[in-house]
Amino acid sequence: MTPIEYALIALFVPLAAAFIIAVVAPLRYAGMPAALLSVAAALVSLGASLALLVQQIAQPDRVIHEVVRWLPNGPAALAQVGVHLDGTSVSMSVVVTLVAACVQIFSLGYMADEPPAARGRYFGYHSFFIFTMLLLVIAPNMLQLFAGWELVGLTSYLLIGFYFQKPSAAKASVKAIWVTKFADIGLLLGLICLFAVTGGFEWTATLSKGWATAITLLMFLAVVGKSAQFPLHIWLPNAMEGPTPVSALLHAATMVAAGVYLVVRADPLFAQAPTTQLVMAWIGGFTALFAAVIATVQTDIKRVLAYSTCSQLGYMVCALGAGASMAGYFHLTTHAFFKALLFLAAGSMIHAVHSNEMSAMGGLGRRMKATSTVFIVGALALAGIPGFAGFFSKDLILEAVHEAGMFVPWLMLIAAAFLTAFYMGRAVFLSIFGPFSPTSEGAHESGFSMTGPLWLLAAGAVGIGYFGSDFAALAGGTYHFHLGMSGILGTTCALIGLLLSWLIYGSHRLSPQAFRFVAPIAWLARSGLVDRFFEFAYRRGALVLADAVGFFDRYVIDGVMNWIGWSTITSGRWLRRIQTGNVRDYVYAVVAGAVVIVFWGLSR
Amino acid sequence: MLLSSIVAMPFLAAVLLLFVPDRNRLGVRLISLFGSGYSLLASILVALRYDMGAGGFQMVENHALVPNFGIALRFAVDGWGVSLLLLTGLVIVAGVLASWTLDDRSKNFFITLLVLVTGVFGVFVSQDLFIFFLFYEIAVLPMYLLIGIWGSSHAVTEAGPFKYVWRLFDIGGREYAAMKLTLMLLVGSAFIIAVMLAMYLATGQNSFDMQVLGAYDYDRSLQMWCFPLCWLGFGALAGVFPFHTWSPDGHASAPTAVSMLHAGVLMKLGAFGIMRVGFMMMPEAAIAWAPLVGCVAVVNIVYGALSAMSQRDLKYVVAYSSVSHMGVVMLGAATLTVEGWNGAVYQMFAHGLMTGLFFALVGLVYGRAHTRHMPSMGGFGLRMPGVATFFTLACLSSLGLPGTAGFVAEVLVFIGAWKSLHPWWAIPGILGAFITAVYVLRASRRIFWGEGPAEEFHDLSDAKGVEWGALVILGGSIVLFGFIPSLVLDLINRVTPDYLSILTQLMEPR
Repeated sequence: MTPIEYALIALFVPLAAAFIIAVVAPLRYAGMPAALLSVAAALVSLGASLALLVQQIAQPDRVIHEVVRWLPNGPAALAQVGVHLDGTSVSMSVVVTLVAACVQIFSLGYMADEPPAARGRYFGYHSFFIFTMLLLVIAPNMLQLFAGWELVGLTSYLLIGFYFQKPSAAKASVKAIWVTKFADIGLLLGLICLFAVTGGFEWTATLSKGWATAITLLMFLAVVGKSAQFPLHIWLPNAMEGPTPVSALLHAATMVAAGVYLVVRADPLFAQAPTTQLVMAWIGGFTALFAAVIATVQTDIKRVLAYSTCSQLGYMVCALGAGASMAGYFHLTTHAFFKALLFLAAGSMIHAVHSNEMSAMGGLGRRMKATSTVFIVGALALAGIPGFAGFFSKDLILEAVHEAGMFVPWLMLIAAAFLTAFYMGRAVFLSIFGPFSPTSEGAHESGFSMTGPLWLLAAGAVGIGYFGSDFAALAGGTYHFHLGMSGILGTTCALIGLLLSWLIYGSHRLSPQAFRFVAPIAWLARSGLVDRFFEFAYRRGALVLADAVGFFDRYVIDGVMNWIGWSTITSGRWLRRIQTGNVRDYVYAVVAGAVVIVFWGLSR
Repeated sequence: MLLSSIVAMPFLAAVLLLFVPDRNRLGVRLISLFGSGYSLLASILVALRYDMGAGGFQMVENHALVPNFGIALRFAVDGWGVSLLLLTGLVIVAGVLASWTLDDRSKNFFITLLVLVTGVFGVFVSQDLFIFFLFYEIAVLPMYLLIGIWGSSHAVTEAGPFKYVWRLFDIGGREYAAMKLTLMLLVGSAFIIAVMLAMYLATGQNSFDMQVLGAYDYDRSLQMWCFPLCWLGFGALAGVFPFHTWSPDGHASAPTAVSMLHAGVLMKLGAFGIMRVGFMMMPEAAIAWAPLVGCVAVVNIVYGALSAMSQRDLKYVVAYSSVSHMGVVMLGAATLTVEGWNGAVYQMFAHGLMTGLFFALVGLVYGRAHTRHMPSMGGFGLRMPGVATFFTLACLSSLGLPGTAGFVAEVLVFIGAWKSLHPWWAIPGILGAFITAVYVLRASRRIFWGEGPAEEFHDLSDAKGVEWGALVILGGSIVLFGFIPSLVLDLINRVTPDYLSILTQLMEPR
């Protein structure tokens, strides 16, 4: 088979599965058959992606670009759709399908208690997600990428709102799509600018400096929304209302990373705009630090992981801002593995204790050995402890940002490295070690359909870091591991963070009371000021404006119309009185008229 | 004869219905379905037969009617006409299916509906301005009966400080709505007659043939006053600000199928008229007036969206969203670019499908919940999952999500706006799309999501039987034409550059 055919199989088999699940109602209501169909489609898609990866590794420089006309415009075509297969898109599609397949298999066990019809719906959404994400990944131009971008937003909306009867889930899903849609104004406008300036949607275009800055800044707005960067990160913590496997797949590993992927794809455009890159580095660095601070005070394990995702995405964005797209993309890949792992392991724990609170999980390590082991592996990888995947990619980012001379963002990343290790240590010590909580006493290990994918992802979280050079070859760069000053500093900070968390939450040698001086920061972090700001803007700004316009329309614009109608009727009613039907009245009128005319004639 | 049969068949079905007793419910419905279904199939046939190589107007028919005044039944279609014929066919078939369960004097209802749709088909194929106008009136007038007799009154009563004003004028009542709609559209028609006669007299060739009228080079001064009259006259039907206020009241009071047809197709007659008669026949004035048309269109988009956001009655939300979306059509027309014009016509098509689906769904919800007051709803998704799914689909097309027809239209229009002489138009346009996302998803959440449904909504159930037909036809089309837009866009695009070249030639010297 040709590579194009492989790509089309990877793309359309999940779509076909989603379509069948959507249309064949009995299949959906049965639950399990729909789930198996969806898993099978994911595995086929994974197989096709792996086949492409094997080919790509054999010829790392191979680029296949095949498009067909999509939108006609005059004699020419306004937009094309097709596939673009190179090292980046092929490796990304493997990451997407691999994590998706793991998550779907995990969900077979995790969602087993749901009613069958809901399960059918759930897996239908998952199949559709693979299609939309791959549509984005193998896009040959920015317009198809945008289409995939919006459609993954749709699947995110549907999956966050999976428990649509829960008011908080309903609110969270709508919030997610509002925030990302708001950010997408930038992307759409950027694309329109790009088309108007270059006549196409290609990311290889050469632009003047002003246009490059304007277009990339607009695109970056969408990245801020999708990849949950400050200040549009507000939707991601709420998105945890969705089922945990969904959080693992969409809101940690793949969909939120789409923003990073966009910048990697459009690197030729961003490379022409140093101003945008500077903005990216600052926002990325700040988000990395800011979200890490908030993560240290959360008690809900999914929220810790959600803020951690914001923070890690901040690392990637900062790397992209430093012009090191390879480093950012490498971290995206490693992060996809260990964060999906962490979320799924957390899901397994939540499944066992029926609570998201870490306080309800104490001592789970003795009841769920496998889950706890992989969770610790994931935590070490996230913390950037040497030997694990996160260490290599984080080291690369720190190095790159330092080399780019962006001192402040670099400092923020180092501080975030310390906090990352601290909050992950805290999560581990609170939920896995320590005394039993009442709920974790009776917990037991999940079945193989849940632990199997965890082991696979754990292998990735350890091993993927050693493939840096192969990875770089695919992405068209080079990579040799060497430990520089940044890496040593970052690792030291991480180790200190881990030690501190052990001292406070593990051995209780230090009381949290000793750190009362950070209380104001913690309060600030908990208060959700950014959230409140947007809430205020919506309630006091948008809704009030809308009501004002609605009032204006009802009573002013329509009021004039009604007044015209009313005055016509009223004047008719008045004028009607002239027609009395009395001959005498008419004679009076004729005489009066004659008199007026005579006087008027005389006065001239 | 294909085109005249498309126009004639709904009318013949209406005549046939006169001889069918009202109690033969199934017979009445089958005849209506046959009349409208034939037109849909024939429209598809027209689309397939349209010769892409030749372009221009095809399938010409010519029957002299009043030779003394040069009036003739001249039927022909171009790519634009074909796409709108298809739209009309899809919406009327879905509309007949959606009114399947109507009980009150259903025979008379279907007769009136079929007469109305005859007028709509007639407008899209007429090449004689007089006949064009005749069909336009045939399409507008039955609305008075349809709303006045079968409409709904006071579904949501006004509570605010001005409720006495509402009582005074009977606002929200169906008689009020029917009268308002008819009067406002008739005032528009008066403008159109003036323009029509002015053009007829100016050419002096004793012909209402639109080819003849279109080819004539009118005086600049004549164009300059005719164009705004034409814009306002047809614009009243297209919901152009500030003559849009019939639309919320009218669409909210009208029965389901009528709302579908009126918002889905009839509003397009107005926009189609502006483009056909205004922009194409008076190019000089069109160039001069385009900035105003565009600015008003931008107002329509944002103002309509904000008004929709403030509504509590579900049907008013959808009606105001039509006002907003028709602004996109007018914006596309005002850009005077190929992208914008393609987008304008495609938006007519996409919006027709989308709003038709919306009104069908609102009808289903209203029929089962017996209220349209959104804040009292909630959790309906549990009992009506199919309706919730299609409602979400309509929302997505409304906010312009890729993969739905709405996206293609909006992207084309916004690109056109950016390439026009007034690039800033694109910004409020995109902002309007965002506001749309806010209010449609909020509405969807309020109705279908969350806890519930409350006790009072005991007879909620999902769509049944033929009602699915309406939803599947419209929903399926939205997705189909969203993924493969070239099915229709190729037809539209075949003629747009030629039409636009008349205007661009005039613009170049400046």
